[in-house]
Amino acid sequence: MAPEERRLRDEVRAFLAENTPSAADLPRSLDARIEALRGWQARCYQAGYVGRAWPREFGGGGRAPVEQIVVDQELAGAGAPEFVNVVGLDVLGPSLLRFGTEKQRQRHIPPILDAREIWCQGFSEPEAGSDLASLRTRAVERDGRFVLSGQKTWVSWGQFAHWCGVLARTEEPDPSGPRHRGISMLIVDMNSPGVDIRPMTQITGHAEFCELFFDDVLVPEQNLLSNRGDGWKIAMYTLGHERGTAALPRQVKLRTWLDRLAVALRDRALDGRALLDDPGTQVSLAQAMIGIEVLRYHAQRTVGEFLSGGAVGPDSSSVKLLMAEAEQRLAATAVELLGPAMEQAGPAEQDEDAFWEETYLYSRAASVYGGTRQIQRNIIADRVLALPQE
Amino acid sequence: MELELTEEQSWISESIDALLSREWVAPQDVATATGERRRRVWTALVAFGALGIGGRTAGGDEGGLEAVELCLIARALGSHLASLPFLGSAAVRLALAPQAGSLPLGLAGLLSSQDAIAIALLEAGSGWTVERAGTRLARGSDGLNIRGEKVSIDQLQAVDQLAVVATLDGKPALAVTPAGAAGLTRHAQRCFDQTVPMGTARFDAVPVPGSRVLGGPEARQVLQRLMTAGSLLTAAEAVGAAGHILELACRYAGERRQFGRTIGSFQALRHILADAYVRQQSGWSAVRYAAAAFDEGDPEAAQAASIAKAYVSRGAQEVAHSAMQVFGGIAFTAEHPAHRFLRRIGVRAQQFGDAAHHERRLGRELAERAVRARPVLAQASPVPTQASLA
Repeated sequence: MAPEERRLRDEVRAFLAENTPSAADLPRSLDARIEALRGWQARCYQAGYVGRAWPREFGGGGRAPVEQIVVDQELAGAGAPEFVNVVGLDVLGPSLLRFGTEKQRQRHIPPILDAREIWCQGFSEPEAGSDLASLRTRAVERDGRFVLSGQKTWVSWGQFAHWCGVLARTEEPDPSGPRHRGISMLIVDMNSPGVDIRPMTQITGHAEFCELFFDDVLVPEQNLLSNRGDGWKIAMYTLGHERGTAALPRQVKLRTWLDRLAVALRDRALDGRALLDDPGTQVSLAQAMIGIEVLRYHAQRTVGEFLSGGAVGPDSSSVKLLMAEAEQRLAATAVELLGPAMEQAGPAEQDEDAFWEETYLYSRAASVYGGTRQIQRNIIADRVLALPQE
Repeated sequence: MELELTEEQSWISESIDALLSREWVAPQDVATATGERRRRVWTALVAFGALGIGGRTAGGDEGGLEAVELCLIARALGSHLASLPFLGSAAVRLALAPQAGSLPLGLAGLLSSQDAIAIALLEAGSGWTVERAGTRLARGSDGLNIRGEKVSIDQLQAVDQLAVVATLDGKPALAVTPAGAAGLTRHAQRCFDQTVPMGTARFDAVPVPGSRVLGGPEARQVLQRLMTAGSLLTAAEAVGAAGHILELACRYAGERRQFGRTIGSFQALRHILADAYVRQQSGWSAVRYAAAAFDEGDPEAAQAASIAKAYVSRGAQEVAHSAMQVFGGIAFTAEHPAHRFLRRIGVRAQQFGDAAHHERRLGRELAERAVRARPVLAQASPVPTQASLA
């Protein structure tokens, strides 16, 4: 770590020690909690810890990308709540910066940074999951506007979002051409007439994502991102970017969870013996740790290439696979090791048990969202190993 | 930590690869490599400077090769299935180098010599530990002499010197003796990889001058470094072998036809190969990281090496198994090179501790840290967590 990075790390640590909200500080009800989390992101933005590497002219910090990674690792390590505008910061913001017009960037980037406006993404559809190119949502241009109709699903934070990045078909599909041709990316105001939002309850019990229905929603022409037909290119850039840079902070979070698990096992006994004293338990923990650490080593090697100017390449798929593997192994290990003790836990342990149950349930999504494990393997087989096409 | 290779490191890697392509045999012929060829290639490797090893000193970089470069060489040797006395020669020098200034003269002299060295560590029934060796340095009227028996000494028949892990006054010590010393009898021993010559050595009061013995706290440090260096180099060699068999399997999958298609177009095989690629690449990331930590004197270097060795010991075998599944029946024939890679990887997976050995150690250390840790503070619940569910 360079001296200036170490200085930044220490500064962020001091800030977090003062300011990180604890679990008790966050309201229980979802609406109030989202408001509190917006306040938290705004506070971090004021301190210079959000969009640190984004261009200054749009409210970013204009610093080197590695600085944001340093900051994100500290946030994860301190157990700080994740930024509520995560979709704007990780997904749509980078796409706007890369493909947006000057006007679009001036309009949208600053409120993404301070969480004044939450973003969601409308990519998947009931009939277009992994097979994203088969999406059916249509946008027909009429009198200088697009008329949008269709259905989107798995839209995280849709019920709190002001804006949605929607992939829609703007041209008739050409049966002889590739299916991803004719898809465009539109910036849709979630308050437009004809937008219907229905939250869905997940296996964790939270309603984090929604279904979206567009019924002849009018979208001004200037809300097209890049050109008609560029939607696929933007989506691929977006997903690659997300995969390429999210792993390091995620790894830090996993590491804090591993340490937390070790302490939980220390403090639980079964038949009069601390769970942690069992050599089999120790080996299971070590195996979970190996997955997390190797994720870090591999992400550092591949992100290093990205930070020194290389593109986010197909190796981001390796990182994505390792990330899902590490997270799922850790969570499954926790539930397996705490399992017998969870059954007989007293009131003092119930919050801890709830945390692990939720973490375990969430972890099952890690090999599905952002491109399934099977899609990542296909990318590697095609683009790295150059195996014959299916 | 800098994880990208410097120009000089890339040059070393390519030069060794070119040297072995020119001078060594093809993988399917590795069992036919004569003693004369082994000596010739070893001489060429030494002439290249592969033993010009010197760590950093307080005064700065000495300019010699360090763990990262030596792991690059080991990876190339593994890729070509070369069978040379590199492992012991490099590991002993890496272990001694930082103390070069304070070593007894006979040991310091090894660093500037071109002698091939083998490590005599294992004893019948012992594990990969430098503690509690049954082989002793006994005090006689004429000085110290070595008594005991060592087994599974890699390249025993090809070396000039033996580095013997022993005890002196009940404490771990290191003694280096010429392979042809009086009182030393050597026998060939069978090895899972027949192309790696192994042997047992019996020490019947082999006299050793005090200038070639290291005892006390210094010995413990050097022996710890020896174990770490051995783990790194064996892991690097296994990663190299795994990379080559994977490359052969990918090529085969692109050529072999069944059911009227090239088999590499079947998703079942594409996914096996993609997973193997991730394992092999991330294995190298782990070795690369741990080697850099070793060179920088990072306090967690030994832990990183254990992680790398545990991960690669399992991962490289997984890659070999996957590749053999892709080859099918042909890989079960003796003339096919697949089993040569499998055997080499199997031997390197065992040496300096297999995966289970390192997992137990890592698990124990994790448990010890947790016992010292403070109680967990309640952290904010992980809502919201997932970036996108597209």
